[in-house]
Amino acid sequence: MRRHLAAARTTLALTTGSQRAIRERNASAWLLPDDGSRFDRTQVENMRRFDDNDEVDLVIVGCGAGGATLAQRMAHAGWSVVCLEAGPFWDPDTEWVSDEAGSHHLYWTEPRVISGADPVPMGSNNSGRGVGGSTVHFAGFVPRLHPSDFSTRTDDGVGADWPIRYEDLRPSYERIEQELPVAGQYWPWGDPHAYRHAPHPVGGNGEIFLRGAAAAGIEARVGPVAITNGRFGNRPHCVYRGFCLQGCKVNAKGSTLITHVPDALAHGAEIRTEAMATAIETDAEGRYATGVRYLRGGREHLQRARTVAVAGYAIETPRLLLNSANRRFPEGLCNDHDLVGRYVMVQGAPQTAGRFTQEIRAYKAPPPEVSSEAFYETDPTRAYKRGFSVQTVSPLPITWAEHVAAQGHWGHDLRRYMQDYIHWATLGALCELLPQAGNRVTLATERDRYGLPVADFSYSQCDNDRAVIAAARTVMEDILRAAGATEVITIERYAHLVGGCRMAQDAEHGVVDGDLRSFAVPNLLITDGSVLPTQGAANPALTIMALVDRAAARLTAGARAGLRAPAGGGAR
Amino acid sequence: MPARRPPARRTVPSGEAGRRFPGFDVLDQADAWDPATAATVLQRLQLQPDLRFFTCAEEACAGALLDLLLAQDGPPQRPEVPVLQMIDARLAETQTDGWRYQDMPEDGDAWRATLRALDEDAADRHGAPFAALPAEQQRRLVQTVQDLHGKDWHGMPAAHVWSLWTRYACTAFYSHPWAWNEIGFGGPAYPRGYARLGVGARERWEHPDADPRDPAADSQERT
Repeated sequence: MRRHLAAARTTLALTTGSQRAIRERNASAWLLPDDGSRFDRTQVENMRRFDDNDEVDLVIVGCGAGGATLAQRMAHAGWSVVCLEAGPFWDPDTEWVSDEAGSHHLYWTEPRVISGADPVPMGSNNSGRGVGGSTVHFAGFVPRLHPSDFSTRTDDGVGADWPIRYEDLRPSYERIEQELPVAGQYWPWGDPHAYRHAPHPVGGNGEIFLRGAAAAGIEARVGPVAITNGRFGNRPHCVYRGFCLQGCKVNAKGSTLITHVPDALAHGAEIRTEAMATAIETDAEGRYATGVRYLRGGREHLQRARTVAVAGYAIETPRLLLNSANRRFPEGLCNDHDLVGRYVMVQGAPQTAGRFTQEIRAYKAPPPEVSSEAFYETDPTRAYKRGFSVQTVSPLPITWAEHVAAQGHWGHDLRRYMQDYIHWATLGALCELLPQAGNRVTLATERDRYGLPVADFSYSQCDNDRAVIAAARTVMEDILRAAGATEVITIERYAHLVGGCRMAQDAEHGVVDGDLRSFAVPNLLITDGSVLPTQGAANPALTIMALVDRAAARLTAGARAGLRAPAGGGAR
Repeated sequence: MPARRPPARRTVPSGEAGRRFPGFDVLDQADAWDPATAATVLQRLQLQPDLRFFTCAEEACAGALLDLLLAQDGPPQRPEVPVLQMIDARLAETQTDGWRYQDMPEDGDAWRATLRALDEDAADRHGAPFAALPAEQQRRLVQTVQDLHGKDWHGMPAAHVWSLWTRYACTAFYSHPWAWNEIGFGGPAYPRGYARLGVGARERWEHPDADPRDPAADSQERT
């Protein structure tokens, strides 16, 4: 009873709170147009533009969850910031569509090689391109990690301990949740907390999950999702069109394009698009970073900067460091201890679908609806360590066809299964797979259009991984059967992508410290998901943004690093 | 707003009867779609670009393979989703998914190699190219590839070959509004959105399933 009262009290306090502090911290939602268009193009046209020879305070590689958040924080703090983004500056009105196949351009489709015993397909599921990065097409589930995630080595004997605690990250979680903003029911798992915005209504898929979970005695909740429930700034309410994974044309689902980029631009940051970083430059002795080399319009440029942050995600960040080898770092920048590119993680994401006589029509609401973290932590009665979460996923026809084809159906069999589409409810698990040194990004012999060696990502599961995935499958099948499914089918797949430049207490165990600063090059930061030492069973976007929020606060509090070139000639 | 519904026929793709959602045509909703989405979807109903990637031999083999995989095997006058043309265009533009298995060539080369292998199997067993074989023999050859799972097939893991074929085939076929008609999918919904959420709920323009029995349960009864 007391617990429920506390939940109600914190929820009330949050939901009635003023938005003024949020707007002062990050006015992005109020800088979007309120005329029915989705991005103020004059912000792009009037963007401050630096010269390559301007030694800016900070150059960031990549404008996704990590890069855009850092750009906003540092520009807001008065730093001169250039963010290099390989993809375009999206115009959601004209360049995004409510269509699966038509959204192919949202993904990173430059060539990559996948290998290992359990290779991980890339593309739509775990990569992004353009301003906003993969937050443009992420589902929008934004759960926090649990306090237990930060010490799995000590507590469970697996994974790695983080150099920071959950408590270090809590204020950052709260700030980012307010800015996305997050809607959802009071969250009872991990560090219990409330959300500022009410949960969304659920569609057929979410209804089935709630019904099945209740019947099976499993707690499930609506949310947390980065989708506005009611107006937020100039962002409108969700219209439940179901195409969250194709980029939100409504501006209801948060992506950093609309949650952080507008405020970054308003504070003088430059987002330089179609700029593909090729190497990080250092001084002759390799003591500090001096800028970033990049290709734009077929020509090579070098943006000079006093601080460099890499935010290219778990494949491109290690690849860039490895491609930046120099005399001081012959095996790749920051790679003195052979850690760059290692411990890359994906979550096991089996999907279980259940067949119902009634019409589910799962496509009619955001795919992220209902979630359970009841199986998140290590359960001493189980034979495996750590755990999984269960969430709704609502495959659209092409994705569903791949699901059905993966069951071995083809020809008339496939067509007839597909005609049953509206009767299926689908759940997906996120299984915490363990970090392993052999799961890594290396450079292949093949080169891409830019002349750079492409990434080879090798991935193999361990026994604990397989046990967690099997357990998740059983739970999802139980939930769907408890809800009345007459048939269940499960396919194995992966989701998300983190690690590759893990953070640690010291240089022997990680590439960066808890403030995301690299051990080897003091003015080089890594500000994306590649720094995660473990991944928990939570979707990573919120944690990436929270880590960057914290790192940005540490950066602004400290002195501006690096040597300043003599004044003159710059746009400052 | 000018009426955008194209004069295309109200139909489902060749091969199946469309008995689940008779009369449902997602294109009737085209006026409610935003212009960018409408342009993307309606383009699939227009004349597709001429083949540029596949050679004649590959065209014949791929055409037969895709008709089989997607069961577009109705009488000649039935409308077909132009899957071969759609895949040809993707390969010509190297519009890949951004990855390849280490033990497979790049997608375009992989398509050529697997079609050649299929023709070799057909020649070895039946003395004719794949496309010239009767449907039942084609079906058995394709089934052989699927049944190999992870084992080697002409120097490639069969499972990775199967993934290549079905991925490209499903992406093309189920991007087409005729396929949406067949499965009762409501399609794009911006800016209007969906208003009636929940189990058993339908927009007023969505059609109920005319035969909601489980087809899998059905086939179990039959066997």
